[in-house]
Amino acid sequence: MARFLAHAAAVAAKDLRLEMRSRERIVSMGVFAVLVAVVFSFALDPTIRARGIAGAMIWVTVLFAGTLGLGRSFALEAEQDALQGLLLSPVDRGALFLGKFAANLVIVLGVELVVFPVYALFFGLDFRGSPAALAGVVGLATVGFMLLGTLFAAMSAHTRLGDTLLPILLLPLLLPVVIFAASATQRLLVGRPPSEVMSAVKVLAAFDLLYLLVCTWAFGHVVEE
Amino acid sequence: MDTEPQSLRGTRTAAAVLALLAAAGVLAALYMVFFYAPTETSMGIVQRIFYVHVPSAWVAFMAFGIVALCSLGYLWLRDERLDAIAVSAAELGTVFTTIVLLTGPLWGRIAWGAWWVWEPRLTLTLLLWFIYVGYFMLRGAAESAERGKRFAAVLGIVGAVDIPLIHLSVQWFRSQHPKPVILRPEGPTADPEIVQTLLVSLLAFTLLFFALLLYRYGLERLRARVEAARLRAADARPAAPIEGAFR
Repeated sequence: MARFLAHAAAVAAKDLRLEMRSRERIVSMGVFAVLVAVVFSFALDPTIRARGIAGAMIWVTVLFAGTLGLGRSFALEAEQDALQGLLLSPVDRGALFLGKFAANLVIVLGVELVVFPVYALFFGLDFRGSPAALAGVVGLATVGFMLLGTLFAAMSAHTRLGDTLLPILLLPLLLPVVIFAASATQRLLVGRPPSEVMSAVKVLAAFDLLYLLVCTWAFGHVVEE
Repeated sequence: MDTEPQSLRGTRTAAAVLALLAAAGVLAALYMVFFYAPTETSMGIVQRIFYVHVPSAWVAFMAFGIVALCSLGYLWLRDERLDAIAVSAAELGTVFTTIVLLTGPLWGRIAWGAWWVWEPRLTLTLLLWFIYVGYFMLRGAAESAERGKRFAAVLGIVGAVDIPLIHLSVQWFRSQHPKPVILRPEGPTADPEIVQTLLVSLLAFTLLFFALLLYRYGLERLRARVEAARLRAADARPAAPIEGAFR
């Protein structure tokens, strides 16, 4: 088990080191997310109070920006067939998946650290009401998003359609996560007590556990050669 | 990959028998729908679409279950026949889900006063349709046929795990909102004629589904055989001129 986790950490460290040096994914996702916020602020009727729909806007932004970044997460491996090298290394497929997932998770959480303040700034929102509950909801929802996202990114990277296919496969399956994440975020945003979102947190945690098992298992069948 | 030319005669015979049974069932169901079942009082004649709508939905979700089970079996045993059943079921599932999504609004326009409402069952069916569409896009776009089968199988399984979660969450989401008063879908009145007609209709659609499934499965197997023959021919062709040159 310790070896398994060490392998996963090594894969994650490799991906994060690459990202630290190039910064291509986090920059493109961050800029894209801010642009979506700008587009929202002009597309919405000025009489609409953004506070009432901010939860939905934020999650739409995170989903789109996250899918954009996920598309690149296997691009390097697919390009020079570097995935073969990774598969030849004595690393369990599950550890490989968890490593890729952890790197994606860190990157998207980084983007979320940009998205939330930007929305707060642009739309005059206040997220300081219950930061712990908000962090719990956002963290758990992002874990679910990245578990499914990493699995499907690995598949779409090996298709002719590539990144075009990813959102088509991913968005319907992500609906359960989105429903609970957006509604809980919205509640916290309008100042409801954290106890009100506890059920959403529990459900998201249960989803994450299920996705973790299914996706880690399924990944072995996706990358086999 | 199987190159052994197995006979599909058994499959064809079974398909023909089922098709005859399905034809009898569909005729009986049609007769009952139009002449036996009474016209529902509150919704009127349009309620009869229910006898097509509900069996289609049942078949569509059953097809998804078959896709998931066969996908699981395929990943485990790598038997081409299981993949052939999965893809046949997925194709029929897409057709029947489309029927559900087309007949639903026709009825809903009259019964609920709206073509579409975000009711849990409707939302679930729509998402099922999107997953089926993704299944075929993924399968078709994969770099090799073998990869396409594997990827599609993974999607079939993940989709089957996700469908109950989608159902759960859309239901939870709806329960957070005030219930629509006019748009509330009422269950069928428990008139015995209506229930009998529905049961016959369910049976007819199930038979029809399995008949089509067997035909489609036979087609898929033939296609695989043609593909294998084509590959063999392509392998054999370049050898011929060299042989001649040495003669």
